[in-house]
Amino acid sequence: MIDTLIWLVALPLASALATQLLPRYATAIVISTAIATSINAAALLYAVATHGVMLYQIGGWTAGLGIALRADGLSALLLMMAAIVLLASSIYASAYFNDNPLRRRFWPLWLLLWCSLNALLLSGDLFNLYVTLELLGLSAVALASLGGKTAALQAALRYLLVGLLGSMLFLAGVTLIYAGYGTLDLATLSRVVAAGPIAWSALALMTVGLLLKTALFPLHFWLPPAHGSAPAPVSAVLSALVVKATFYLVMRLWLDIFSEVVTPQAASIPGVLGAAAVLWGSWQALRAERLKLLAAYSTVAQLGYLFLFFPLLQALPAGAARDAAMGGLVILALTHGLAKSGLFLAIGIIQQRSGHDTIRDLDGTAQRLPATTFAIALSGIALIGLPPSGAFLGKWHLLAAAFSAGQWLWVVVIMIGTLLAAAYTFRVLGHAFGQQPYPRHPVTIAAEEWPALILSAFATIGLGLAGAPVWQLLKVSL
Amino acid sequence: MNATNMLFLDILLVIALLSLAWATLTATDARRSVILFIAFGLVLTLAWARLLAPDVALAEAAIGAGLSGALLLAAVQHHPRRALSSERQNTGKLANEKQNDSNPADLKSSVAIRWTLTLFCIALAFVLIWALLQALSSETSDTLAQSVSANLANSGVSNPVTAVLLNFRAYDTLLELAVLLTAVLGIFALSEQRTGYLPAGPVFNGLVSWLVPALILMAGYLLWVGAHAPGGAFQAGATLAAAGVILRLAGKRNIGLPVSKSYLNIILVIGSGLFLLVGLTMLALGRPFLDYPPAMAGYLILLIETAAMISIAATLILAFLGGRPRNREDRSC
Repeated sequence: MIDTLIWLVALPLASALATQLLPRYATAIVISTAIATSINAAALLYAVATHGVMLYQIGGWTAGLGIALRADGLSALLLMMAAIVLLASSIYASAYFNDNPLRRRFWPLWLLLWCSLNALLLSGDLFNLYVTLELLGLSAVALASLGGKTAALQAALRYLLVGLLGSMLFLAGVTLIYAGYGTLDLATLSRVVAAGPIAWSALALMTVGLLLKTALFPLHFWLPPAHGSAPAPVSAVLSALVVKATFYLVMRLWLDIFSEVVTPQAASIPGVLGAAAVLWGSWQALRAERLKLLAAYSTVAQLGYLFLFFPLLQALPAGAARDAAMGGLVILALTHGLAKSGLFLAIGIIQQRSGHDTIRDLDGTAQRLPATTFAIALSGIALIGLPPSGAFLGKWHLLAAAFSAGQWLWVVVIMIGTLLAAAYTFRVLGHAFGQQPYPRHPVTIAAEEWPALILSAFATIGLGLAGAPVWQLLKVSL
Repeated sequence: MNATNMLFLDILLVIALLSLAWATLTATDARRSVILFIAFGLVLTLAWARLLAPDVALAEAAIGAGLSGALLLAAVQHHPRRALSSERQNTGKLANEKQNDSNPADLKSSVAIRWTLTLFCIALAFVLIWALLQALSSETSDTLAQSVSANLANSGVSNPVTAVLLNFRAYDTLLELAVLLTAVLGIFALSEQRTGYLPAGPVFNGLVSWLVPALILMAGYLLWVGAHAPGGAFQAGATLAAAGVILRLAGKRNIGLPVSKSYLNIILVIGSGLFLLVGLTMLALGRPFLDYPPAMAGYLILLIETAAMISIAATLILAFLGGRPRNREDRSC
């Protein structure tokens, strides 16, 4: 039972090595690994819900001397989201890269990325987190560079340099923590950490490094080109999961381990940056000429909403209101992950079928690709935050928290951001539903169209109607 | 040596490090900058040795100064020589922008940006030094080092650094080997092997036939000695890779790495693969992942390190080659 934790890391890693050794069977290996890891993630979610926090001490050494893996409600939920997105994207990618020589290089890196995501979400050790960040960053860059065009390479190089700078800052913070507190174990650290110059500067260094990787405004400059020029399944995973993983770490540090150290003034900094990200990202998404850039800028904006929660959670006293807001934050992150990956996969189909993703020339898309257009519409609903999507619940609790904390300014930001999101979604749909007198009917490949539809439907309907367990699970925390 | 002499040496090291770092950053020529960086790495090696961290010193000499230096030199070689200096003329403008007619306003603003950044970095450095001094003066009981030495007897090796890397925190090292694999897959995704390098003349060839066997022997020694003294898979792998770099500079094609994709893949994967296999075997035996039985620990660590050394060396050599080995003869340039 408890072995699920290590298998979540070991199985993708073993399969990555296997796909490198046996490229001929790669697709079969990836799909079976994806299914097994999704089952594993579900088993972990169930175990956390029934037994509470899960702990696994690698090598049998106690945490501190050795490294411990830990899973609470938050990490189990994010692991489950990662598994759903990666399973759907793996099926999609097996059709997307069909007969493409890139496939050989794609699968091992894909599984290494999955391994690093799971390792990051489970890690209970600061230095181990740095190693997982490096693995995540490198595999993401290598995948993003698979587009092969000069623009993709330039974007990937910038992504690499930004990622390395972020990791270095994070490592500097880890070093300070180790020098000051003599431990790398997160659970021990959250007990001994105290407000003071060491904790402040370490938290500042780690946070800046992570925000650079999370692409919070104004550190988002690298994201649109990198996410906009990668192959479609890679863009989906980069936008839905990779930035979310570093966001998870920021959350873990600010709301959990360093929660005693963070002051209201400090918590308002991510809030203000988040507000700027919402406005700037939504505005740029509205002005974007290509669908993929629109989706990438929308990621910048959606990440902004998540940071709006920080000052509110800091202001609210522990209790029902704060728990509700916490659940809102997580469900917003989950919805965005599912919806944005669905959107990117759908855009990939349009791009492959019509050879471009210029928004102005989308006329007739609804006639040619009805299922894909439906997927875009569904994910648009989730991005705007209309009911019954999970984002509606998330934004509802965000507004409720802003009212009960008396911080009215955020409400204005949320409203403008929502209006802009509606505008950029309907701009795409308006063009997509434009009629063409003689529509072409290309072949529909179910393996390509279904994953996008299922992911968007899950975000819009599944999380919205069955979101209650999220709040239950979040009560299980370290 | 007495304390005063040591203090003198330390001050000399600090001055040398700072001035080499400054010279590296301000050099107008990329090649000169790289060479200064290698010198910086060597002085840093001495500094680590002076701080009684021989493991770090070995790694810095082999990887930081040696192989990184070789990689940077190879990169400069294949990059237009004037790139850095023309960029410098444009002060901060990207190389693909207009080269010559940079207008004075741009020049002024970029100089301002540069100074702002410099001042910001200096301020940041002072804050960090202050925080670090606070951290070092705070009363932290060094419990971690104590528990490492308390458990050293059960780790299978007597060198505490190897015990931490291959036993207590073996999971980190496993993931680091996965990082190396990812890096080499990324290199494959980007490019083919670089061409170049004339076959060496008789004198260099004579040197090669002495150096390469010596380096291979040294790699084996470093691997073996890692169990009880500074050394280990990373240093040994880097030394082995140095032998590869020398062979490559002597114009040897593919430096003995297999051209066949499947053999090459085995060499690249064996480090992390065997490590993972050992970990999972422990799971099958009913022990936690990577929990070696104390009686077997020494042998298992040696096995893992040998495989890791092979993968590390192959990864570093492939990074220097810039891609997969090829069948064709090198074009001489």
